[in-house]
Amino acid sequence: MASMVTAPRSRNARQRGFLGRILVHVIVLLICFLTIFPFFWMFSTSFKQADEVFTKDIQLIPLHPTVMNYPDAFNYFPVAQWFWNSFGIAVLTTLGKLAISIPAAFAFARLKFRGRAFFFAVVLATMIVPGVTHIVPNYILVSDLGWLDTWAGVVIPSLPATAFYMFLLRQNILTLPQDLIDAGRLDGASTVKLLWQIVIPNIRPAIAVVSILSFLGAWNQYLWPLLVLNDFESKTLAVGMQFFTSNTESAQLWGPMMATAAIATIPPLLIFAFAQKQIISTFVTSGIKG
Amino acid sequence: MASIRTTTKGATSSGDVARRRFTWYKIKEGVIPYLLIAPLLILVAVFVYWPLIYSTYLSFFDWNFVRPDKNFVGWDNYTQLLDDPRFLRSLHGTWIYLVTLIPIQVFLPLGLAMLLWPIRRAKSQGAYRVILFSPTVVAWSVGAVMWLWIFNPLQGLLNKVIAEFGVERVNWLSDRNTAIWTVIIVATWKTLGFNLLLYLAALEAVPHDYVEAASLDGASNWQIMRTIRFPLITPTFFFVLVTTVISVNDDVFGAINVLTEGGPFESTTNIIYYLYEQGFKYFQIGDASAVATIIFVATVFLTWLQFRFIEGHVHYG
Repeated sequence: MASMVTAPRSRNARQRGFLGRILVHVIVLLICFLTIFPFFWMFSTSFKQADEVFTKDIQLIPLHPTVMNYPDAFNYFPVAQWFWNSFGIAVLTTLGKLAISIPAAFAFARLKFRGRAFFFAVVLATMIVPGVTHIVPNYILVSDLGWLDTWAGVVIPSLPATAFYMFLLRQNILTLPQDLIDAGRLDGASTVKLLWQIVIPNIRPAIAVVSILSFLGAWNQYLWPLLVLNDFESKTLAVGMQFFTSNTESAQLWGPMMATAAIATIPPLLIFAFAQKQIISTFVTSGIKG
Repeated sequence: MASIRTTTKGATSSGDVARRRFTWYKIKEGVIPYLLIAPLLILVAVFVYWPLIYSTYLSFFDWNFVRPDKNFVGWDNYTQLLDDPRFLRSLHGTWIYLVTLIPIQVFLPLGLAMLLWPIRRAKSQGAYRVILFSPTVVAWSVGAVMWLWIFNPLQGLLNKVIAEFGVERVNWLSDRNTAIWTVIIVATWKTLGFNLLLYLAALEAVPHDYVEAASLDGASNWQIMRTIRFPLITPTFFFVLVTTVISVNDDVFGAINVLTEGGPFESTTNIIYYLYEQGFKYFQIGDASAVATIIFVATVFLTWLQFRFIEGHVHYG
């Protein structure tokens, strides 16, 4: 089929096409190299001994690799505790966002009620409110509630930043066939049952993608935890990293610093590597259209 | 008589029950949509919309977080900002980030998506996507730490590389001319993948019939990209543009804080970083709130401008 519809091309044009392809690959490979290099350099440095870190010439791969930077990082700073905080905060933020986004997405997609368009607009409009505009009032509120240095103080004010995910889920629920919903209705399923037993099982892939994106977002959050988590032990990895750079004494600890950066990088990289196909296809089916 | 009455009564009451059950069911089903959206709406109200109002209120007061009383100062916080050279320098930084990073974040991934599209069936495509997207999934602060080690003036790789070519050491992070470019480079590296993915997804969603029809008419690949594929992905283009304008200065905060802490001489400070310093370093809550209000108004204005003047060129559906 495909070859029949394509207009016949001369050998010359095909050759040009082939050379063009090679050129494209070369350009893309170069950009890929620049993209991946900082990761490579981080991992490489994290396995170097101090004298190799500070050589005058360029040492791409450690000659005498060591893993000691990793335990060292844990000794200088409470990196294990930071890792646990990052993990707990990311998991709770993800669960919380799902718990408030899925029911709302379902209501906005499939239920009729007065004010639906208005409330939908109210939620979507949060996307044009820059996060930084509410940090001062939220900081005051969180400190009044006694939530400074707690996970709740980071997680709960972050939950409403979920309009994009709610929108993705709604778009996915809209693509479900109307027959599926009608069949459920005919069987006498209540609205809640419909959501729980028919809609949620059918949008699992989208829920997975939203979970992953929200986990990554929470794992990497910076400004808000920087303000809320002042206690040394309560910090997350993304925020705690700062101690390696701001402390003059530890400014020379490039090995352990890169080891800590690697520890902060590996979980999100692994999650993404496993889920990338799913993420791309969800973006396609949701047809994000501004 | 009696028996009839009871029957009638019985019939009425059972009808009542049915009707009552029906009304109860209707009320319940009528309330459920609101219950489903309530948690999200309450959180949005408490942590997004109320703070906007409260922050605007605070912008008219002089307060330092701890003092029990707030002094009303009218528009003083706003007028003082215009006299603060640090604020003016932060506006300059904000401007530089906008004019460099908006084109970089909107057009660079678009160009790359158009490059990747013709080779989408190549075996290496999956690997390209994973690699190009990978910086998106790490924290801004952690990504900035990786680059900090490259830009470090004494042991950093970049200076070692240029030394190989006989170029003298540059203090990338503390030189007024180069510092802001380190932030821009990190931001470019960090954001390329996400918008690229959005564009690729949009290209994939372009209906095949249009493309086939055009190629039957003898259109070249480039013509098809320019006249069919691009117009059909303009909704995504517009989405990327609007979200980039909103987030670009917010995004670079982590990179600024790790790489330069706003220096040297506020050359890398933007309005977001200024707000952070006023609020949480100097505890000038009134100043910080005034800046927050300005940021909000400016963002809404810029978004409105784009909808007013650019959205008309977007092809939906």
